[in-house]
Amino acid sequence: MFEQLRQQLDEAASAFTEDAAALGSLLTTMAADVQRAMDEPLEIFPVAHHSPASALHMVRLLQTRQPKAIYIELCEDMREVLVNLNHCKLPVALQAFAAKSPLIPVEELPVSVVAPLTESSAEYQAIAYCLQHPETALVFVDRAVDYVFQWREADLAPDATSEEETDIPSEDAGLHGKAIGIQSGGVEPTFDEFVHFLLKNSNTRHFAEWWDQYVERTIIGADFATYKQVMVLVGSLIRHLGRLPHDTEVDRLRERYMWTRIKQHLSANQIAPQDAIYICGAAHAASDVAEFGTHTDAIWDDLPPTSETEWLFGVIPSSFMAIEYQFSHPAGTVSIAEATWQKSMKAANLAPFTLGKTPSKRKNALPVNAVTNNHALSDFLTQAPAFASADVEQLLGWCANIVALARRNGYLASTADSIAIYETAILLAHLRNRAHPSSYDFIDAAITCLEKDRTPKRRNIAQLCRAMLGGDRIGTVGYESLPPLAQNIYDRLAPMGVDLFARTNQRALMDFTKAPHLRDCSELLWRLNYLLGDAVVQPIMGERQLGQPSIQESWEVRIGKHQGAVIQLGYEGITLEQVLEQRMHQRAHAPDATAAVALYTAEASLLYLDSPRLTRSFGEHATHLLSQETGASSAPDIFNRARRLIHYYRTTPAGLPDWLKQFVAVGYTHYASLLPQAMTDPGTSAAEIAGMLGFIFTLETLALSLGCSREQIIISVQQAAQEPIPPDKIGLQWVAEWLLGLRTVESMRGALASVMDNPLSLTALPDYLNGFILSLTFAPQVATFVVEVMSSVFANVPDATLIPWLPGLVLQLRAHKAILPPLIKEAAKLFPATLSGFSQWQPAWLQDEAETAADEAIPGGEELQTIRALLDSAPETLNRLAALVVT
Amino acid sequence: MSQTVLRAPAEVKYADELARLADQSKGQKPHSWRLSPQMVRSFIIGDKKLGIDQKWFGDASTVERAIVTLASDRGLLLIGDPGTGKSWLAELLAAAISGNSTYVVQGTAGTTEDQIKYSWNIAMVIAAGQSPQSLIPSPIMTAMQHGAMGRFEELTRCPSDVQDALISIMSEKYIAIPELKTETTAFAMPGFNIIATANSRDRGVNDLSSALKRRFNFVHIPVVTNKKQEHEIVMFRTQELLARQQITVEVPPALLDLLLQTFSDLREASAAASSDDARLESALSTAEQIGVLEDALLHATYFGEQKLSPYTLANSLVGTLVRRLPEDSTVINKFWHTVVAERSKKDAAAWKDFMAGGQDAIKGLKH
Repeated sequence: MFEQLRQQLDEAASAFTEDAAALGSLLTTMAADVQRAMDEPLEIFPVAHHSPASALHMVRLLQTRQPKAIYIELCEDMREVLVNLNHCKLPVALQAFAAKSPLIPVEELPVSVVAPLTESSAEYQAIAYCLQHPETALVFVDRAVDYVFQWREADLAPDATSEEETDIPSEDAGLHGKAIGIQSGGVEPTFDEFVHFLLKNSNTRHFAEWWDQYVERTIIGADFATYKQVMVLVGSLIRHLGRLPHDTEVDRLRERYMWTRIKQHLSANQIAPQDAIYICGAAHAASDVAEFGTHTDAIWDDLPPTSETEWLFGVIPSSFMAIEYQFSHPAGTVSIAEATWQKSMKAANLAPFTLGKTPSKRKNALPVNAVTNNHALSDFLTQAPAFASADVEQLLGWCANIVALARRNGYLASTADSIAIYETAILLAHLRNRAHPSSYDFIDAAITCLEKDRTPKRRNIAQLCRAMLGGDRIGTVGYESLPPLAQNIYDRLAPMGVDLFARTNQRALMDFTKAPHLRDCSELLWRLNYLLGDAVVQPIMGERQLGQPSIQESWEVRIGKHQGAVIQLGYEGITLEQVLEQRMHQRAHAPDATAAVALYTAEASLLYLDSPRLTRSFGEHATHLLSQETGASSAPDIFNRARRLIHYYRTTPAGLPDWLKQFVAVGYTHYASLLPQAMTDPGTSAAEIAGMLGFIFTLETLALSLGCSREQIIISVQQAAQEPIPPDKIGLQWVAEWLLGLRTVESMRGALASVMDNPLSLTALPDYLNGFILSLTFAPQVATFVVEVMSSVFANVPDATLIPWLPGLVLQLRAHKAILPPLIKEAAKLFPATLSGFSQWQPAWLQDEAETAADEAIPGGEELQTIRALLDSAPETLNRLAALVVT
Repeated sequence: MSQTVLRAPAEVKYADELARLADQSKGQKPHSWRLSPQMVRSFIIGDKKLGIDQKWFGDASTVERAIVTLASDRGLLLIGDPGTGKSWLAELLAAAISGNSTYVVQGTAGTTEDQIKYSWNIAMVIAAGQSPQSLIPSPIMTAMQHGAMGRFEELTRCPSDVQDALISIMSEKYIAIPELKTETTAFAMPGFNIIATANSRDRGVNDLSSALKRRFNFVHIPVVTNKKQEHEIVMFRTQELLARQQITVEVPPALLDLLLQTFSDLREASAAASSDDARLESALSTAEQIGVLEDALLHATYFGEQKLSPYTLANSLVGTLVRRLPEDSTVINKFWHTVVAERSKKDAAAWKDFMAGGQDAIKGLKH
């Protein structure tokens, strides 16, 4: 039957090459592959991924005969998740997930493997058929997910894509995250030289375009036998020339696996090979493994064992763009395939198999050409595909539509451009030796004629073309296919009454006074927000703070859009609370966790989980971490959080828990002992020391009541004073000394006055001020003195020096919002409130000084004056008396 | 003129190939084109079967779009970064389509409308008044009259009002000469079109008016980042330049890889830099690499050991790329002592030599 083909191939070989023998043997092998696949009693159905022709022929085949079993080249253990596919909107991806695995290096974990399904694929059509016809067994025969990792090359690094752009083009393209993609019907050549040669000689840019132009268009309208022969022939060509040796090696392992599984299933269920269909990539149909074919009993009986990895399976939403990105297809490939599929189904008057609907009656389908055309394959090799007049109509429609779309997107486009695009597309097609412009030619023409030097709005012409030719489509996973955790979330959020499957933003308004039952929803939303961030659920109004239950809340809910993220949580646990607890535990006990992180987790557990046991365990861990810390970098954070927790617990009936008391006691001792070193250490900032001192002085009463000793801090402060302290920390040191009664206001005043008087030290004055300003956080009573210092700075420092400081000073004050109110209050008290008050006004500190001076002038009052006058009047006597006293 | 001129235009240089292609040109030809569009394509991106070398390296679809545009009613505007081969592509297109690539107007800030349309021989006008004999046609007008490709280099360097002189040429396809009493209109012959180039770095200086924009199809020429393609371009252009200078020094492939790798690293560093001061002023285009290699080769020929060494290459690279002092020298110094130093630690001796050459050159800059 293939004699003519062989002859034709031989002639081609001698015409095109000097070494006709080598080429001839290759072509003979290809012809033999076709012959073998055609002779096999088991119906081998060669497919290409996202090939509308494959899907169309699948539909036709399944409408004419009802097989007992369908075998598909997909990971066998993914079969279990198909049960609930009915409720999903395609495209979705079957996913396998593992958090731990001995096969995978720790830094790559967790891993997930995705197998996307689109409606216009033969495998989906077969799946849909089998789910509607339970009497037909659906078996996935490809290697289990575990082998994907077992058989992959050791150095399978992402380097292969390093030369290409690796940015994710859009949010939707990142739907699969960092998953590893697998697909059935992969025919893509991996040998660069081959691809380069193929594309160069066909005037195409990508393999997908080549496939569309030279294979797809020819076979979509052909009869099944031609389809099968052409697919096997092309598959054989790619297998023999286009794949790298390693890929072929893995392909062989998979083929052995698949044939083994097929034969096992056939014999176990007593199915004759004629009653089954085997769907595999075209390259696998030209396999050369010993197990190939039902005529032999050879099977792979010593399959390697699987690893101990625990694989979890589920369905996640996918999108056309995510698929294109995952498998490095040029943008728009899947959309174009989908559009072609719909056009061809309409033209052939066929109805696809879809899930979730009752099987539709076959429309008056055109009779399938049952007579096999023996010359079909030869014709395919020699003739250009015919194009229909509908194609011209379609091109005209595209030209008009793209101009309209471009105009809406800010381009200056008119009817003249439509004409130019049409003309350019035709010229391009002729230049590329095509009878009629393909969609790729059209896109090129549209870009040439419409794209100018800039993109006026968000989308450029290439993107608009893709949107027009089908656009992206994003799938949704139905409720039944969700993991228990996600189902639980959907159930618990149901009272809110928002559409959780919608892909748009949903706004939820909750008034707890009117609808107290919504509080549970709010709790859940807060937990989700903690785990997944603002992208999935975002509070617009309402806060989560200790001891402040909100009355009303408003949320932006985007669970439908980010369904994948919610489903991913399902792999970590059965309920959201369990996942939350695990995550918190991981966070607090991470190797690099600090006391601040552990304390934050303790607070978070109080806010989101309401589990005293958990809070206590995190709190105790925080205490433990704090006692081991050698620096004070997180002191301000710890101080604020500890203070907040103490305030909160004091309002509860139970009072302070033991762990918090312990934390304060440990913190007091810890920071007191760190202080002398921190004061002199240039790596510790003034703000951090302020945090330490804040912890010590603010929580002092509590710490002392728990058995800490004040002596410790006194000794530490005295020790710190023995070393030279940098100017920005001096203020803190002095205020600490003042609080402990080791320093007077006068001494600070004097020291600062001498700084201001000395032009050499004047430049350091802002640093000195900084220390005092920071000290307000823990010693508000020093505010009077700070106001005084600042006033005297403004009064005494010359403007030329002062004005450059001002911006810095303002910024410094702005950074500490909490200290401004006491400062302003104090200033208001000290300064006159009205302008007229200024004439007699004298600052309080100057009054103090005047009084002191007066006191010094007349010590002891009038009585003493008289005595002094008397003594002065008799100096001789006085001197003698003095001499007597001294001796 | 072929052997005596410094640089022969494409149609002279590749006269043999063009003649061969013209003989083979069977397909339908638009207007008065010398070659069919397929043959123009073969001429530019090469055709092994016909023995035609590749002359312009880049995406074939870019060339196809350019050819198709020229066959249509619209002008072609090649737009891209400096050194991406816009002018070279324009020259090849003009040479292949009309056999003459010299009808060129160079756009500058001082270009006037006269240079686009026509001017007068003042002496003749004074002697005999305005007549067709005293009229000096511009290259564009000459191209119109011959039905050939007119080229307009750096279109966006011209002031907008001068650019707009092209509008009527491109839509009505004639130039009115009201000064003459007879022959008041110079009509374009079939086959006339305009190939303009514009630098995308000049964007915003003299923007094209909307009216002119819609008379041009814009074809963007991207910077080549594919190493293999870049390798081909650098080899091709350097050999051409060396042949012109009659230099016979070989370029070892390892050194070429070294140069390409350094440029690729530099581009990466440039993309990661946060401000213009942390970036080299150079666009780091392929043309720049050719410049570096040519400089190094000339140096090796006349002052060196007749052999290209990594040391000389590094010297030329630093010398060519550092233009602003001190910004560029700071950038290159940092680059040299991080990226190049890292590579010289790991890789072969060539990198060490390269490293040393660069260091010496940078030291020289500081004095």
